[in-house]
Amino acid sequence: MADAGNHFKIRLRDIRQRYKRIRKRSRSLRETLRRLYRREPILKQFDALKGVSFAVASGETLGLIGRNGSGKSTVLKIIARIFPPTAGTVEVNGAVSPLIELGAGFHLDLTGRENVVLAGVILGFTRREMEKKLDPILDFAGLQDFIDTPLRTYSSGMAARLGFAVATEIDPDILLVDEVLAVGDVGFQEKCLARMNNFRRLGKTMVFVSHDMDQVRQVCDRVLLLHEGELLAEGKPDEVIRRYLDLLRELGPDRPLRQRIR
Amino acid sequence: MLELVHDAYRYRELIWVLTLKELKIRYKGSLLGYFWSLLNPLLMTAVYVVVFTAFARVGRFDIENYPIFLMCAMFPWTFYQQALSYSVDSIVNNGSLLRKVYVPKMVFPLAVVLANGINFLLSLLPLAFFLWFFGIPFHKTWLYLPVPLVGLALFAAGCGFVVSAANVFFRDTEHIVQVFLRAYFFFCPVIYDLRHIDPKYHFLLSWNPLLYALDGFRLALFYGELPSAGQAVLTVAIGLLALLLGYAFFRRFQDSFPLYV
Repeated sequence: MADAGNHFKIRLRDIRQRYKRIRKRSRSLRETLRRLYRREPILKQFDALKGVSFAVASGETLGLIGRNGSGKSTVLKIIARIFPPTAGTVEVNGAVSPLIELGAGFHLDLTGRENVVLAGVILGFTRREMEKKLDPILDFAGLQDFIDTPLRTYSSGMAARLGFAVATEIDPDILLVDEVLAVGDVGFQEKCLARMNNFRRLGKTMVFVSHDMDQVRQVCDRVLLLHEGELLAEGKPDEVIRRYLDLLRELGPDRPLRQRIR
Repeated sequence: MLELVHDAYRYRELIWVLTLKELKIRYKGSLLGYFWSLLNPLLMTAVYVVVFTAFARVGRFDIENYPIFLMCAMFPWTFYQQALSYSVDSIVNNGSLLRKVYVPKMVFPLAVVLANGINFLLSLLPLAFFLWFFGIPFHKTWLYLPVPLVGLALFAAGCGFVVSAANVFFRDTEHIVQVFLRAYFFFCPVIYDLRHIDPKYHFLLSWNPLLYALDGFRLALFYGELPSAGQAVLTVAIGLLALLLGYAFFRRFQDSFPLYV
Protein backbone atom coordinates (compact mmCIF):
# COMPACT_ATOMS: atom_id res chain seq x y z
CA MET A 1 0.00 0.00 0.00
CA ALA A 2 1.26 3.39 -0.99
CA ASP A 3 0.59 5.17 2.27
CA ALA A 4 1.93 3.49 5.38
CA GLY A 5 -0.66 5.16 7.60
CA ASN A 6 -3.53 3.69 5.57
CA HIS A 7 -5.82 1.61 7.63
CA PHE A 8 -8.79 2.07 5.34
CA LYS A 9 -9.43 -0.04 2.29
CA ILE A 10 -11.93 2.20 0.61
CA ARG A 11 -12.40 5.91 0.99
CA LEU A 12 -14.96 8.02 -0.83
CA ARG A 13 -14.87 11.77 -0.46
CA ASP A 14 -17.76 13.99 -1.44
CA ILE A 15 -18.86 11.73 -4.25
CA ARG A 16 -21.42 13.13 -6.63
CA GLN A 17 -22.89 11.21 -9.49
CA ARG A 18 -25.02 12.87 -12.06
CA TYR A 19 -26.57 10.65 -14.67
CA LYS A 20 -27.29 12.29 -17.94
CA ARG A 21 -29.79 10.31 -19.82
CA ILE A 22 -30.92 10.98 -23.29
CA ARG A 23 -34.64 11.53 -23.03
CA LYS A 24 -36.80 8.52 -23.75
CA ARG A 25 -33.64 6.53 -24.32
CA SER A 26 -33.97 6.69 -28.08
CA ARG A 27 -30.50 7.18 -29.36
CA SER A 28 -30.88 7.43 -33.06
CA LEU A 29 -29.64 10.17 -35.26
CA ARG A 30 -33.10 10.98 -36.54
CA GLU A 31 -34.53 11.49 -33.07
CA THR A 32 -31.63 13.64 -32.07
CA LEU A 33 -31.86 15.83 -35.13
CA ARG A 34 -35.57 16.26 -34.62
CA ARG A 35 -35.09 17.28 -31.02
CA LEU A 36 -32.31 19.67 -31.88
CA TYR A 37 -34.60 21.21 -34.41
CA ARG A 38 -37.39 21.57 -31.89
CA ARG A 39 -34.95 22.78 -29.25
CA GLU A 40 -36.07 20.13 -26.83
CA PRO A 41 -33.53 19.42 -24.13
CA ILE A 42 -31.78 16.25 -25.19
CA LEU A 43 -30.42 15.30 -21.83
CA LYS A 44 -32.20 14.92 -18.61
CA GLN A 45 -30.13 14.96 -15.51
CA PHE A 46 -30.53 12.94 -12.42
CA ASP A 47 -28.40 13.26 -9.32
CA ALA A 48 -27.98 9.76 -8.00
CA LEU A 49 -25.46 10.78 -5.35
CA LYS A 50 -25.25 14.24 -3.84
CA GLY A 51 -21.99 14.34 -1.96
CA VAL A 52 -21.43 11.06 -0.16
CA SER A 53 -18.33 10.52 1.96
CA PHE A 54 -17.34 7.48 3.95
CA ALA A 55 -14.47 5.10 4.50
CA VAL A 56 -14.33 1.36 5.01
CA ALA A 57 -11.62 0.11 7.34
CA SER A 58 -9.55 -2.92 6.54
CA GLY A 59 -11.36 -6.04 7.71
CA GLU A 60 -14.64 -4.27 8.12
CA THR A 61 -17.97 -5.34 6.68
CA LEU A 62 -20.06 -2.36 5.75
CA GLY A 63 -23.75 -2.61 4.96
CA LEU A 64 -25.57 -0.22 2.64
CA ILE A 65 -29.32 0.04 3.04
CA GLY A 66 -31.98 2.28 1.58
CA ARG A 67 -34.95 2.29 -0.73
CA ASN A 68 -34.69 1.37 -4.39
CA GLY A 69 -33.05 4.22 -6.23
CA SER A 70 -31.38 5.66 -3.14
CA GLY A 71 -27.92 5.30 -4.67
CA LYS A 72 -26.65 2.05 -3.15
CA SER A 73 -25.75 0.38 -6.40
CA THR A 74 -24.20 3.55 -7.76
CA VAL A 75 -21.88 3.59 -4.75
CA LEU A 76 -20.84 0.01 -5.43
CA LYS A 77 -20.26 0.73 -9.10
CA ILE A 78 -18.05 3.66 -8.26
CA ILE A 79 -16.02 1.56 -5.83
CA ALA A 80 -15.70 -1.13 -8.51
CA ARG A 81 -14.35 1.51 -10.95
CA ILE A 82 -17.11 0.79 -13.43
CA PHE A 83 -17.37 4.50 -14.10
CA PRO A 84 -15.67 7.49 -12.53
CA PRO A 85 -17.90 9.70 -10.36
CA THR A 86 -18.99 13.08 -11.68
CA ALA A 87 -17.15 14.71 -8.78
CA GLY A 88 -15.25 13.59 -5.70
CA THR A 89 -12.39 11.22 -5.07
CA VAL A 90 -12.31 7.46 -4.65
CA GLU A 91 -9.44 5.54 -3.14
CA VAL A 92 -9.42 1.77 -3.15
CA ASN A 93 -6.50 -0.26 -1.82
CA GLY A 94 -6.53 -3.85 -2.91
CA ALA A 95 -8.04 -6.22 -5.43
CA VAL A 96 -11.79 -5.82 -5.72
CA SER A 97 -14.12 -8.64 -6.63
CA PRO A 98 -17.34 -7.07 -7.78
CA LEU A 99 -20.26 -9.30 -7.12
CA ILE A 100 -22.59 -6.61 -8.18
CA GLU A 101 -24.94 -8.87 -9.91
CA LEU A 102 -24.21 -12.52 -10.10
CA GLY A 103 -23.47 -13.64 -13.54
CA ALA A 104 -21.59 -10.54 -14.56
CA GLY A 105 -19.46 -11.43 -17.48
CA PHE A 106 -21.20 -14.68 -18.17
CA HIS A 107 -21.94 -15.57 -21.72
CA LEU A 108 -24.94 -17.72 -22.53
CA ASP A 109 -23.37 -19.55 -25.45
CA LEU A 110 -20.31 -20.64 -23.53
CA THR A 111 -20.24 -23.60 -21.18
CA GLY A 112 -20.00 -23.24 -17.41
CA ARG A 113 -16.31 -24.05 -17.56
CA GLU A 114 -15.58 -21.49 -20.29
CA ASN A 115 -17.56 -18.90 -18.37
CA VAL A 116 -15.62 -19.48 -15.16
CA VAL A 117 -12.38 -18.96 -17.04
CA LEU A 118 -13.70 -15.89 -18.84
CA ALA A 119 -15.01 -14.33 -15.61
CA GLY A 120 -11.69 -14.98 -13.87
CA VAL A 121 -9.67 -13.51 -16.71
CA ILE A 122 -11.87 -10.40 -16.66
CA LEU A 123 -11.02 -10.06 -12.99
CA GLY A 124 -7.34 -10.22 -13.83
CA PHE A 125 -6.35 -13.87 -13.51
CA THR A 126 -4.63 -16.01 -16.09
CA ARG A 127 -6.32 -18.94 -17.73
CA ARG A 128 -4.03 -21.39 -15.97
CA GLU A 129 -4.81 -19.92 -12.57
CA MET A 130 -8.50 -20.24 -13.29
CA GLU A 131 -8.21 -23.85 -14.46
CA LYS A 132 -6.74 -24.61 -11.04
CA LYS A 133 -9.60 -22.90 -9.23
CA LEU A 134 -12.18 -24.66 -11.34
CA ASP A 135 -12.68 -27.63 -9.01
CA PRO A 136 -13.19 -25.68 -5.78
CA ILE A 137 -15.54 -23.34 -7.62
CA LEU A 138 -17.63 -26.23 -8.91
CA ASP A 139 -17.60 -27.91 -5.53
CA PHE A 140 -18.93 -24.84 -3.84
CA ALA A 141 -21.54 -24.18 -6.51
CA GLY A 142 -22.47 -27.86 -6.64
CA LEU A 143 -22.58 -27.81 -10.43
CA GLN A 144 -20.10 -30.50 -11.49
CA ASP A 145 -22.70 -32.20 -13.66
CA PHE A 146 -23.38 -29.05 -15.65
CA ILE A 147 -19.89 -27.80 -16.24
CA ASP A 148 -19.75 -28.60 -19.93
CA THR A 149 -23.24 -27.50 -20.85
CA PRO A 150 -23.87 -23.98 -22.17
CA LEU A 151 -24.98 -21.42 -19.64
CA ARG A 152 -28.27 -20.90 -21.43
CA THR A 153 -29.42 -24.23 -20.04
CA TYR A 154 -28.85 -23.02 -16.45
CA SER A 155 -31.61 -21.69 -14.25
CA SER A 156 -31.12 -18.24 -12.74
CA GLY A 157 -30.37 -19.86 -9.40
CA MET A 158 -27.69 -22.07 -10.94
CA ALA A 159 -26.04 -19.08 -12.63
CA ALA A 160 -26.15 -17.25 -9.31
CA ARG A 161 -24.42 -20.17 -7.60
CA LEU A 162 -21.68 -20.13 -10.19
CA GLY A 163 -21.27 -16.36 -9.89
CA PHE A 164 -20.98 -16.36 -6.13
CA ALA A 165 -18.55 -19.26 -6.24
CA VAL A 166 -16.31 -17.48 -8.76
CA ALA A 167 -16.35 -14.14 -6.96
CA THR A 168 -15.41 -15.63 -3.60
CA GLU A 169 -13.04 -18.35 -4.76
CA ILE A 170 -10.66 -15.91 -6.42
CA ASP A 171 -9.78 -14.67 -2.95
CA PRO A 172 -10.18 -10.89 -3.34
CA ASP A 173 -9.15 -8.33 -0.71
CA ILE A 174 -12.42 -6.54 -1.09
CA LEU A 175 -15.74 -8.16 -1.91
CA LEU A 176 -18.70 -6.15 -3.13
CA VAL A 177 -22.02 -7.93 -2.73
CA ASP A 178 -25.14 -6.42 -4.22
CA GLU A 179 -28.46 -8.06 -3.48
CA VAL A 180 -27.32 -11.35 -4.77
CA LEU A 181 -28.43 -13.90 -2.30
CA ALA A 182 -32.08 -13.43 -3.15
CA VAL A 183 -31.88 -15.78 -6.13
CA GLY A 184 -30.37 -18.84 -4.52
CA ASP A 185 -32.37 -21.35 -2.53
CA VAL A 186 -32.27 -21.33 1.26
CA GLY A 187 -29.55 -23.94 1.46
CA PHE A 188 -27.30 -21.99 -0.84
CA GLN A 189 -28.04 -18.71 0.93
CA GLU A 190 -26.88 -20.24 4.19
CA LYS A 191 -23.75 -21.51 2.50
CA CYS A 192 -23.08 -18.02 1.14
CA LEU A 193 -23.63 -16.35 4.50
CA ALA A 194 -21.28 -18.86 6.09
CA ARG A 195 -18.68 -18.10 3.48
CA MET A 196 -19.11 -14.36 3.97
CA ASN A 197 -18.67 -14.78 7.71
CA ASN A 198 -15.57 -16.78 6.96
CA PHE A 199 -14.35 -13.87 4.87
CA ARG A 200 -14.80 -11.59 7.86
CA ARG A 201 -12.77 -13.91 10.04
CA LEU A 202 -9.99 -13.83 7.48
CA GLY A 203 -9.94 -10.05 7.84
CA LYS A 204 -11.25 -9.31 4.35
CA THR A 205 -13.18 -6.16 3.63
CA MET A 206 -16.74 -6.31 2.39
CA VAL A 207 -19.43 -3.93 1.23
CA PHE A 208 -22.83 -5.54 1.38
CA VAL A 209 -26.03 -4.21 -0.15
CA SER A 210 -29.22 -5.95 0.83
CA HIS A 211 -32.88 -5.45 1.53
CA ASP A 212 -32.89 -8.39 3.89
CA MET A 213 -32.41 -6.72 7.28
CA ASP A 214 -31.73 -10.04 9.01
CA GLN A 215 -28.82 -10.73 6.68
CA VAL A 216 -27.52 -7.20 7.24
CA ARG A 217 -27.66 -7.73 11.01
CA GLN A 218 -25.89 -11.06 10.68
CA VAL A 219 -23.03 -9.95 8.48
CA CYS A 220 -22.32 -6.23 8.94
CA ASP A 221 -20.13 -4.40 11.47
CA ARG A 222 -21.44 -1.01 10.46
CA VAL A 223 -24.31 0.18 8.31
CA LEU A 224 -24.93 3.27 6.19
CA LEU A 225 -28.40 4.46 5.31
CA LEU A 226 -28.72 6.16 1.94
CA HIS A 227 -31.76 8.21 1.01
CA GLU A 228 -32.19 10.05 -2.28
CA GLY A 229 -28.47 10.19 -2.85
CA GLU A 230 -27.52 11.39 0.58
CA LEU A 231 -26.10 9.72 3.63
CA LEU A 232 -28.86 9.81 6.23
CA ALA A 233 -27.41 7.72 9.01
CA GLU A 234 -24.35 5.73 9.89
CA GLY A 235 -23.57 3.44 12.80
CA LYS A 236 -24.29 0.12 14.45
CA PRO A 237 -26.55 -2.17 12.39
CA ASP A 238 -29.41 -2.19 14.90
CA GLU A 239 -29.55 1.60 15.22
CA VAL A 240 -29.38 2.30 11.51
CA ILE A 241 -31.88 -0.39 10.62
CA ARG A 242 -34.28 1.09 13.19
CA ARG A 243 -33.75 4.50 11.63
CA TYR A 244 -34.46 3.03 8.18
CA LEU A 245 -37.67 1.36 9.30
CA ASP A 246 -38.75 4.66 10.93
CA LEU A 247 -38.04 6.44 7.67
CA LEU A 248 -40.15 3.98 5.74
CA ARG A 249 -42.98 4.50 8.23
CA GLU A 250 -42.68 8.29 7.89
CA LEU A 251 -42.86 8.04 4.11
CA GLY A 252 -45.99 5.96 4.38
CA PRO A 253 -47.02 3.31 1.88
CA ASP A 254 -44.66 2.82 -1.00
CA ARG A 255 -44.90 5.81 -3.27
CA PRO A 256 -43.63 6.30 -6.79
CA LEU A 257 -39.92 6.98 -6.83
CA ARG A 258 -39.17 10.63 -7.46
CA GLN A 259 -37.48 11.43 -10.73
CA ARG A 260 -35.75 14.67 -9.78
CA ILE A 261 -35.39 16.00 -13.27
CA ARG A 262 -33.84 19.36 -13.82
CA MET B 1 -0.32 5.26 -27.88
CA LEU B 2 2.13 3.92 -25.32
CA GLU B 3 -0.81 3.49 -23.01
CA LEU B 4 -2.61 1.40 -25.62
CA VAL B 5 0.39 -0.89 -26.10
CA HIS B 6 0.90 -1.13 -22.35
CA ASP B 7 -2.75 -1.96 -21.66
CA ALA B 8 -2.95 -4.39 -24.54
CA TYR B 9 0.02 -6.22 -23.08
CA ARG B 10 -1.31 -6.09 -19.55
CA TYR B 11 -4.67 -7.50 -20.59
CA ARG B 12 -3.28 -9.93 -23.16
CA GLU B 13 -4.88 -12.92 -21.43
CA LEU B 14 -8.27 -11.26 -21.54
CA ILE B 15 -7.86 -10.22 -25.17
CA TRP B 16 -6.85 -13.76 -26.06
CA VAL B 17 -9.75 -15.38 -24.22
CA LEU B 18 -12.18 -12.96 -25.89
CA THR B 19 -10.62 -13.67 -29.27
CA LEU B 20 -11.15 -17.40 -28.83
CA LYS B 21 -14.67 -16.74 -27.62
CA GLU B 22 -15.30 -14.65 -30.72
CA LEU B 23 -14.09 -17.46 -32.99
CA LYS B 24 -16.01 -20.09 -31.06
CA ILE B 25 -19.32 -18.29 -30.90
CA ARG B 26 -19.55 -16.89 -34.36
CA TYR B 27 -20.22 -20.16 -36.09
CA LYS B 28 -21.90 -21.93 -33.22
CA GLY B 29 -24.96 -23.76 -34.44
CA SER B 30 -24.13 -23.49 -38.13
CA LEU B 31 -23.60 -26.74 -39.94
CA LEU B 32 -20.38 -25.88 -41.72
CA GLY B 33 -19.12 -23.93 -38.74
CA TYR B 34 -15.68 -22.65 -39.16
CA PHE B 35 -15.58 -23.26 -42.91
CA TRP B 36 -17.85 -20.31 -43.43
CA SER B 37 -14.95 -17.98 -42.84
CA LEU B 38 -13.32 -19.53 -45.91
CA LEU B 39 -16.48 -20.08 -47.90
CA ASN B 40 -17.53 -16.47 -47.55
CA PRO B 41 -14.69 -14.89 -49.58
CA LEU B 42 -14.62 -17.88 -51.94
CA LEU B 43 -18.28 -17.55 -52.78
CA MET B 44 -17.94 -13.81 -53.20
CA THR B 45 -15.05 -14.42 -55.55
CA ALA B 46 -17.18 -16.87 -57.50
CA VAL B 47 -19.96 -14.31 -57.78
CA TYR B 48 -17.65 -11.65 -59.18
CA VAL B 49 -15.96 -14.09 -61.53
CA VAL B 50 -19.33 -15.05 -62.96
CA VAL B 51 -20.46 -11.44 -63.19
CA PHE B 52 -17.32 -10.21 -64.86
CA THR B 53 -16.44 -13.04 -67.17
CA ALA B 54 -19.83 -14.40 -68.18
CA PHE B 55 -22.35 -11.60 -67.94
CA ALA B 56 -20.38 -8.44 -68.45
CA ARG B 57 -17.79 -10.02 -70.73
CA VAL B 58 -15.30 -7.61 -69.40
CA GLY B 59 -12.63 -8.64 -71.76
CA ARG B 60 -11.07 -5.25 -71.46
CA PHE B 61 -9.63 -5.98 -68.05
CA ASP B 62 -8.01 -8.89 -69.81
CA ILE B 63 -6.50 -10.45 -66.76
CA GLU B 64 -5.22 -13.94 -66.89
CA ASN B 65 -6.34 -16.08 -63.98
CA TYR B 66 -8.91 -13.52 -63.00
CA PRO B 67 -10.32 -15.70 -60.16
CA ILE B 68 -6.91 -15.78 -58.50
CA PHE B 69 -6.32 -12.12 -59.20
CA LEU B 70 -9.60 -11.46 -57.41
CA MET B 71 -8.95 -13.78 -54.50
CA CYS B 72 -5.59 -12.24 -53.69
CA ALA B 73 -7.34 -9.00 -52.76
CA MET B 74 -10.74 -10.41 -51.81
CA PHE B 75 -9.38 -12.37 -48.86
CA PRO B 76 -7.66 -9.38 -47.22
CA TRP B 77 -10.67 -7.20 -48.03
CA THR B 78 -12.93 -9.73 -46.31
CA PHE B 79 -10.70 -9.50 -43.24
CA TYR B 80 -11.18 -5.73 -43.13
CA GLN B 81 -14.87 -5.91 -43.87
CA GLN B 82 -15.59 -8.57 -41.24
CA ALA B 83 -13.39 -6.89 -38.65
CA LEU B 84 -15.31 -3.66 -39.08
CA SER B 85 -18.79 -5.12 -39.20
CA TYR B 86 -18.22 -7.26 -36.12
CA SER B 87 -16.40 -4.61 -34.09
CA VAL B 88 -19.11 -2.00 -34.58
CA ASP B 89 -21.34 -3.63 -31.96
CA SER B 90 -18.56 -5.13 -29.86
CA ILE B 91 -19.02 -2.56 -27.07
CA VAL B 92 -22.81 -2.54 -27.19
CA ASN B 93 -23.01 -6.34 -27.15
CA ASN B 94 -20.89 -6.47 -24.04
CA GLY B 95 -23.00 -3.81 -22.36
CA SER B 96 -24.24 -6.02 -19.55
CA LEU B 97 -20.65 -6.82 -18.69
CA LEU B 98 -19.47 -3.21 -18.81
CA ARG B 99 -22.22 -2.19 -16.42
CA LYS B 100 -21.23 -4.76 -13.84
CA VAL B 101 -17.48 -5.09 -13.71
CA TYR B 102 -14.54 -2.93 -14.54
CA VAL B 103 -13.16 -4.06 -17.87
CA PRO B 104 -10.77 -2.09 -20.05
CA LYS B 105 -13.01 -1.19 -22.96
CA MET B 106 -10.40 -1.41 -25.69
CA VAL B 107 -10.15 -5.19 -25.39
CA PHE B 108 -13.45 -5.72 -27.21
CA PRO B 109 -12.73 -4.17 -30.61
CA LEU B 110 -9.16 -5.46 -30.42
CA ALA B 111 -10.33 -9.03 -29.83
CA VAL B 112 -12.67 -8.79 -32.83
CA VAL B 113 -9.87 -7.59 -35.09
CA LEU B 114 -7.56 -10.28 -33.77
CA ALA B 115 -10.14 -13.03 -34.30
CA ASN B 116 -10.70 -11.91 -37.87
CA GLY B 117 -6.96 -11.64 -38.39
CA ILE B 118 -6.60 -15.28 -37.35
CA ASN B 119 -9.41 -16.19 -39.71
CA PHE B 120 -7.59 -14.41 -42.48
CA LEU B 121 -4.27 -16.10 -41.74
CA LEU B 122 -5.99 -19.47 -41.89
CA SER B 123 -7.60 -18.52 -45.18
CA LEU B 124 -4.13 -18.14 -46.68
CA LEU B 125 -3.92 -21.95 -46.75
CA PRO B 126 -6.77 -22.47 -49.22
CA LEU B 127 -5.53 -19.43 -51.09
CA ALA B 128 -2.14 -21.09 -51.46
CA PHE B 129 -3.92 -24.20 -52.67
CA PHE B 130 -5.72 -22.23 -55.38
CA LEU B 131 -2.51 -20.54 -56.45
CA TRP B 132 -0.94 -23.94 -56.85
CA PHE B 133 -4.01 -25.32 -58.61
CA PHE B 134 -3.98 -22.51 -61.17
CA GLY B 135 -0.29 -22.96 -61.68
CA ILE B 136 0.85 -19.67 -60.25
CA PRO B 137 4.34 -20.01 -58.85
CA PHE B 138 5.06 -19.20 -55.22
CA HIS B 139 7.17 -16.13 -55.28
CA LYS B 140 9.70 -15.17 -52.66
CA THR B 141 7.58 -12.06 -52.27
CA TRP B 142 5.36 -14.04 -49.88
CA LEU B 143 7.91 -12.87 -47.34
CA TYR B 144 6.63 -9.32 -47.85
CA LEU B 145 3.12 -10.29 -46.69
CA PRO B 146 3.62 -9.32 -43.03
CA VAL B 147 3.89 -5.68 -44.10
CA PRO B 148 0.45 -5.30 -45.71
CA LEU B 149 -0.94 -7.62 -43.05
CA VAL B 150 0.24 -5.34 -40.23
CA GLY B 151 -0.88 -2.24 -42.11
CA LEU B 152 -4.32 -3.71 -42.73
CA ALA B 153 -4.75 -4.97 -39.15
CA LEU B 154 -3.74 -1.63 -37.63
CA PHE B 155 -6.06 0.21 -39.97
CA ALA B 156 -8.91 -2.17 -39.15
CA ALA B 157 -8.29 -1.70 -35.42
CA GLY B 158 -8.31 2.08 -35.78
CA CYS B 159 -11.60 1.98 -37.68
CA GLY B 160 -12.96 -0.56 -35.20
CA PHE B 161 -12.26 1.82 -32.30
CA VAL B 162 -14.12 4.65 -33.99
CA VAL B 163 -17.21 2.73 -35.05
CA SER B 164 -17.58 0.73 -31.82
CA ALA B 165 -17.43 3.94 -29.74
CA ALA B 166 -19.76 5.84 -32.05
CA ASN B 167 -22.26 2.99 -31.97
CA VAL B 168 -22.66 3.35 -28.20
CA PHE B 169 -24.17 6.79 -28.68
CA PHE B 170 -25.70 6.37 -32.11
CA ARG B 171 -26.98 2.92 -32.93
CA ASP B 172 -27.34 4.11 -36.50
CA THR B 173 -23.60 3.58 -36.86
CA GLU B 174 -24.16 -0.15 -37.40
CA HIS B 175 -26.25 0.49 -40.47
CA ILE B 176 -24.06 3.27 -41.76
CA VAL B 177 -21.06 0.96 -41.56
CA GLN B 178 -22.79 -1.71 -43.62
CA VAL B 179 -23.61 0.75 -46.39
CA PHE B 180 -20.19 2.34 -46.20
CA LEU B 181 -18.47 -1.04 -46.57
CA ARG B 182 -20.51 -1.90 -49.61
CA ALA B 183 -19.63 1.37 -51.31
CA TYR B 184 -16.03 1.37 -50.17
CA PHE B 185 -15.53 -2.07 -51.70
CA PHE B 186 -15.80 -0.63 -55.20
CA PHE B 187 -13.44 2.18 -54.36
CA CYS B 188 -10.84 -0.37 -53.33
CA PRO B 189 -8.65 -2.18 -55.83
CA VAL B 190 -10.26 -5.59 -55.32
CA ILE B 191 -12.19 -6.43 -58.46
CA TYR B 192 -9.84 -4.23 -60.48
CA ASP B 193 -6.34 -2.97 -60.18
CA LEU B 194 -5.02 0.55 -60.54
CA ARG B 195 -3.34 -0.31 -63.80
CA HIS B 196 -6.72 -0.97 -65.42
CA ILE B 197 -7.98 2.45 -64.51
CA ASP B 198 -7.52 5.56 -66.57
CA PRO B 199 -4.49 7.34 -65.06
CA LYS B 200 -6.44 10.57 -64.74
CA TYR B 201 -8.40 8.94 -61.89
CA HIS B 202 -5.30 7.70 -60.11
CA PHE B 203 -5.01 10.88 -58.11
CA LEU B 204 -8.49 10.37 -56.74
CA LEU B 205 -8.01 6.68 -55.99
CA SER B 206 -4.64 7.25 -54.37
CA TRP B 207 -6.43 8.88 -51.43
CA ASN B 208 -7.75 5.49 -50.46
CA PRO B 209 -6.00 4.51 -47.22
CA LEU B 210 -6.37 0.81 -48.02
CA LEU B 211 -4.85 1.14 -51.46
CA TYR B 212 -1.29 0.21 -50.53
CA ALA B 213 -2.19 -2.65 -48.23
CA LEU B 214 -4.53 -4.34 -50.70
CA ASP B 215 -2.22 -3.67 -53.60
CA GLY B 216 0.68 -5.05 -51.56
CA PHE B 217 -1.10 -8.35 -51.08
CA ARG B 218 -1.85 -8.71 -54.75
CA LEU B 219 1.60 -7.67 -55.91
CA ALA B 220 3.29 -10.15 -53.61
CA LEU B 221 0.88 -13.07 -54.08
CA PHE B 222 -0.17 -12.74 -57.69
CA TYR B 223 2.51 -10.84 -59.56
CA GLY B 224 5.49 -11.79 -57.44
CA GLU B 225 6.58 -8.19 -57.30
CA LEU B 226 7.46 -5.87 -54.47
CA PRO B 227 6.07 -2.37 -54.07
CA SER B 228 8.46 0.53 -53.75
CA ALA B 229 10.02 1.13 -50.36
CA GLY B 230 7.95 4.29 -50.05
CA GLN B 231 4.73 2.36 -50.56
CA ALA B 232 5.78 -0.23 -48.00
CA VAL B 233 6.43 2.48 -45.44
CA LEU B 234 3.12 4.17 -46.28
CA THR B 235 1.25 0.89 -45.81
CA VAL B 236 2.30 0.66 -42.17
CA ALA B 237 2.31 4.41 -41.52
CA ILE B 238 -1.31 4.75 -42.62
CA GLY B 239 -2.27 1.86 -40.34
CA LEU B 240 -0.46 3.42 -37.39
CA LEU B 241 -2.05 6.80 -37.99
CA ALA B 242 -5.52 5.23 -38.18
CA LEU B 243 -4.90 3.36 -34.94
CA LEU B 244 -3.65 6.50 -33.22
CA LEU B 245 -6.59 8.64 -34.26
CA GLY B 246 -9.11 5.86 -33.73
CA TYR B 247 -7.90 5.13 -30.22
CA ALA B 248 -7.78 8.83 -29.32
CA PHE B 249 -11.44 9.06 -30.30
CA PHE B 250 -12.34 5.89 -28.40
CA ARG B 251 -10.48 7.01 -25.27
CA ARG B 252 -12.20 10.34 -25.26
CA PHE B 253 -15.57 8.63 -24.74
CA GLN B 254 -14.79 5.29 -23.10
CA ASP B 255 -15.55 6.33 -19.53
CA SER B 256 -19.17 6.98 -20.35
CA PHE B 257 -19.73 3.68 -22.19
CA PRO B 258 -21.17 1.94 -19.09
CA LEU B 259 -23.75 4.71 -18.75
CA TYR B 260 -25.09 4.38 -22.28
CA VAL B 261 -24.83 0.75 -23.33
